[in-house]
Amino acid sequence: MPATRSARAILLSAAPIAFAVFVFGASFGVLALAVHLPGWTTALMSALVFAGSAQFAAVGVLAAGGGVVAAILAGVLLNLRFIATGIAVAPVLPGSRWRRALLAQLVIDESYALGTAAGVPGRPDRRTLLVTGVELYIAWIAGTTLGVLLGPVLGDPKRLGLDAAFPAGFVALLWPMLARPNAVRCAVAGIVIALVLAPFTPAGVPLAGAAVAGVWLSRSR
Amino acid sequence: MALPLALALAIGLAGLTFLIRATGSLLPEIPLAITRRTAGLAPALLAALVAIQLTGPNGIVRFDVKVPAVLIAAVLAALRMPFIVCVAAGGLTAALLRAFFHFS
Repeated sequence: MPATRSARAILLSAAPIAFAVFVFGASFGVLALAVHLPGWTTALMSALVFAGSAQFAAVGVLAAGGGVVAAILAGVLLNLRFIATGIAVAPVLPGSRWRRALLAQLVIDESYALGTAAGVPGRPDRRTLLVTGVELYIAWIAGTTLGVLLGPVLGDPKRLGLDAAFPAGFVALLWPMLARPNAVRCAVAGIVIALVLAPFTPAGVPLAGAAVAGVWLSRSR
Repeated sequence: MALPLALALAIGLAGLTFLIRATGSLLPEIPLAITRRTAGLAPALLAALVAIQLTGPNGIVRFDVKVPAVLIAAVLAALRMPFIVCVAAGGLTAALLRAFFHFS
């Protein structure tokens, strides 16, 4: 492994992932129209949150009839894993506490994975982490904006099957995770608890129940 | 959705996500045994979200076009198709079933 790669080399090597993030952003921008979010607030959400699956989950909760609080809860619970990734990158973040807290906002699943792959065990590569973080941030916002602009051209959300696109998207996000340790039992428990609670409780409760099951069942055996 | 609610969603989720990301980087001494547990959150929540999306207003699973849409998306995801292909295929399945067979 070369000691330091140029920013250009890092950008180029992450380009296919940036493209995937761009397309993911575009689909998020289109789908957000199904719940009639004003387009610029969708783009604003992407710029401020920068967490695809959490944003997707929040909008999906709204599409299923949940309220804003349940939507935020869903996104926050999904994002709690960033505490663990934040700790993993903390040793290589430079500067004051404020600067480190700001730079940590560039950590998403993809930039974390690329930074870890380019580093040594226990020390992700700082340049790769930050350069790809910025690259993917730009791709995410650009993709969302394209989706928001493209959505109205595509036509009536219901006729396009956009309501079915939400569960399809959640399945697509879930499937690659099932290879991880304990993930299958966490997923099965999440389904069972959500379906048991859904008839009796408001929208956020089944998700909170699933989250508790996920935390409980992901303990190492 | 009304603008104040949409802004509350964007800013509320953004603020809490900022704090979550800052927490890990500023307090690296949180025990690994605790943070490792967050690994189970994403699969449990995404699976629960799939299940919830398939329920009707009464909270009970409703067998409408979303069920075949999810099955198609799951097969494509298992075949390692890109995210957008799974989503588009799910939406297309629902749209076609509605257009040609008048399913709900």
